[in-house]
Amino acid sequence: MDRREFLKLAAISGIGFSTAGSFDKLIKSVEASEKIDLVVAHGASPSKITDAAIDAIGGMKRFVSRGDIVIVKPNMAFDRLPEQAANTNPEVVATVVKLCYEAGAKKVKVFDRTVNDPRRCYVQSGIADAARASGAEVNHIDERKFKDIRINGQAIKTWPLYTEIFEADKIINIPIAKHHGLAKLTMAMKNWMGIMGGTRRTIHQKLDESLVDLALVIKPTLTVLDAVRILTANGPQGGDIDDVKRLDTVIVGIDQVAVDSFGATLFGMKGSDLGYVKVADKLGLGTMDISKLKIKRISI
Amino acid sequence: MQNLRRISQGIFLLLFLFLFLQTESKGRDELGYPVKIFLDFDPLIFITTILSAHAVAKAFYLSIVVVIVTIIFGRVFCGWVCPLGTLNNITGSLKKWRFNMASRNWHRVKYYILIFLLASSLFTLQLVGIIDPISLLIRSLSLSIYPLFNYSIRSIFDTIYSLDFRGVVGISESIYSILKKGILSFQQPFYNQSIFIGVIFFLILGLNLVERRFWCRYLCPLGAFLGILSRYSFLKRSVSEGCDSCGICASVCQGNAAPDKKEDWKDAECLYCWNCDDVCPQNAVSFGFFRKRTATAMDLGKRRVIVSMLSGMFAVPLLRATPLSKSGFSNPGLIRPPGSLEEREFLKRCVKCGECMKVCITNGLQPTFLEAGLEGIWSPVLISRIGYCEYRCTLCGQVCPTGAIKRLELKEKVKIKIGLAMIDKGRCLPYAHATPCIVCEEVCPTPKKAIWFENVKVKDRHGKGIIMKQPRVDLELCIGCGICETRCPVLGQPAIYITNIGESRSKENQLLL
Repeated sequence: MDRREFLKLAAISGIGFSTAGSFDKLIKSVEASEKIDLVVAHGASPSKITDAAIDAIGGMKRFVSRGDIVIVKPNMAFDRLPEQAANTNPEVVATVVKLCYEAGAKKVKVFDRTVNDPRRCYVQSGIADAARASGAEVNHIDERKFKDIRINGQAIKTWPLYTEIFEADKIINIPIAKHHGLAKLTMAMKNWMGIMGGTRRTIHQKLDESLVDLALVIKPTLTVLDAVRILTANGPQGGDIDDVKRLDTVIVGIDQVAVDSFGATLFGMKGSDLGYVKVADKLGLGTMDISKLKIKRISI
Repeated sequence: MQNLRRISQGIFLLLFLFLFLQTESKGRDELGYPVKIFLDFDPLIFITTILSAHAVAKAFYLSIVVVIVTIIFGRVFCGWVCPLGTLNNITGSLKKWRFNMASRNWHRVKYYILIFLLASSLFTLQLVGIIDPISLLIRSLSLSIYPLFNYSIRSIFDTIYSLDFRGVVGISESIYSILKKGILSFQQPFYNQSIFIGVIFFLILGLNLVERRFWCRYLCPLGAFLGILSRYSFLKRSVSEGCDSCGICASVCQGNAAPDKKEDWKDAECLYCWNCDDVCPQNAVSFGFFRKRTATAMDLGKRRVIVSMLSGMFAVPLLRATPLSKSGFSNPGLIRPPGSLEEREFLKRCVKCGECMKVCITNGLQPTFLEAGLEGIWSPVLISRIGYCEYRCTLCGQVCPTGAIKRLELKEKVKIKIGLAMIDKGRCLPYAHATPCIVCEEVCPTPKKAIWFENVKVKDRHGKGIIMKQPRVDLELCIGCGICETRCPVLGQPAIYITNIGESRSKENQLLL
């Protein structure tokens, strides 16, 4: 045993002794959570249910390690206010950022390639301010950071994607559940359009296949689906409060196909009603059949 | 005095540039700074707008301050405040001037220009902004100099970034991020005619190498206007007996006011730069209040005054007698910003300062060339292929100095129609090519979407039936914001496009009952 190894061992066992209790708890919670595929948390406070949902799936420490650079990707594509439910709830985003830092993340980055003017989207969505207040680095997209990535999917062979995604240690997707004219609903998988460069509007010609193609190369560590408010019509940007339904719910899962499939039920649909969920399931990217999932429901 | 004046010029120039840079959205719907305040203080725009439109924005009463200051202190605005004057001053000082160089005697020209402008505005033609110094400077900077500046700075840093020199990129990127926060625009702006507008601006600056403050001396109508007021000012220059006519004051005079010729002193031309006082070896020059006027009367020549008045009057029918006036409606592509007055009223007020184009967050507002007739040159038009009208943005109305674009509350703004989208079925993918595409509907910002789908069963080439979502435009709901045209994936001619039919500001230009 050389000096370095000795020190390592000493350090490890040191931690073991000093934090024996919590270590045990951690292992227990990991064991317990491994069986849970989705957590559905319900409650009046968006930050509390986010907190509780992530805790129930094993805590942020299960996903984020000390020193990690984490990308937190909300949907903040539209120049809309939080109550219009076009963008992810800012409190949910801020809570996830906070949890990442508590788990030891070195840096948490929040960004989106917006549809409307980026300055307005960042500010009006309330996300930039909320995420910054939790310590996140919120920058606008830098066009130079898009690089052609080989995808070799059904619809997309290569596409310029935002390189920061591939340089990060962990990726947490925080979409909002809402209506969409073509995809029917947009949630987790469609949220990756926000890291596409170039003229991404053309992918609507083969939208379902293209979204699944993106999922081939982007592997989120965790998906937090914001259903605090859902937009039931005139999506993806809405604008009319009458189209917004308050569900006070957050869904957390590792399998993004499962999250989207469950998300469909919030709108009275099934996962199989969504083309991209079906295609993804067929390719084995995740589970569409939610009866096969272990879902934990909590209420706060 | 010279240093005091320079400090004043510097402060006002920096203030002007600061407000210019702040004429950019930061994401909120207010700018937080009175960015158009230099225009508000411009009495020439004030008067011509009153004459042409019989109305004026409230803020413009600030320009009375300049009138009062000029009556008390003389033409200090030109010498101490005007940012274009300061730039002229700086450019002129790049050249070494020979002592006793004869200057042109063209100072009357600016009065003729002024008379022309006043006469034409009396007959409802608003041309002042083309040549008013503040308006001209804002337009030149917004549409040409600043985009050029941005482009060059960005390409330098982009080059370093793409070459990826180790070590250098880290430093250059940190400098770049500071520049991006402070002085660069959020995105690279592009404008039609930016070269043309820039050339005019550089010519104006270049004239300072022909003669110091060439523009201020011979062309500036605001200078002429203040010059007339200045003749009655309380603060006057006088020369004592000690003067030995050495002529050194003439060589430093910025205004070409003939300070060395006692009987020929032109007080209206004096910029109150105090150079003559500073330089006089005999200390014979002084400025003071309530002194006897010693200057000669301004002799513009009756005939020439009449000619400039008449040409101002005749310019009105000359510029307006175009086929455009027959239909009352110009080019269907002439899409004015939301809140714009009816076209006639709009043209009576728009001074083409470019504030709205500078502040437009999508860069969609562009200067016209002849789309609105010669009369409307450099007025704003939305070119939807470049950028659209952001649904919840009201900035252009906030920065318009004359109210040509009304300031709208958000809830009013979202109801204003600036045009209407039309679908070209021969190009639209779901119609012409049985290929799915819903981009126009997806981006449509109205709360109930103005673009809706008709699900149509069509056959592909092999006779296989497929359901196609074919977009339709709801004529009532569409506000003509143009985002569908901006984002239409059909390149070249877009498959959906905006014309100004249905614009709220017009009674006639309507498609529906």
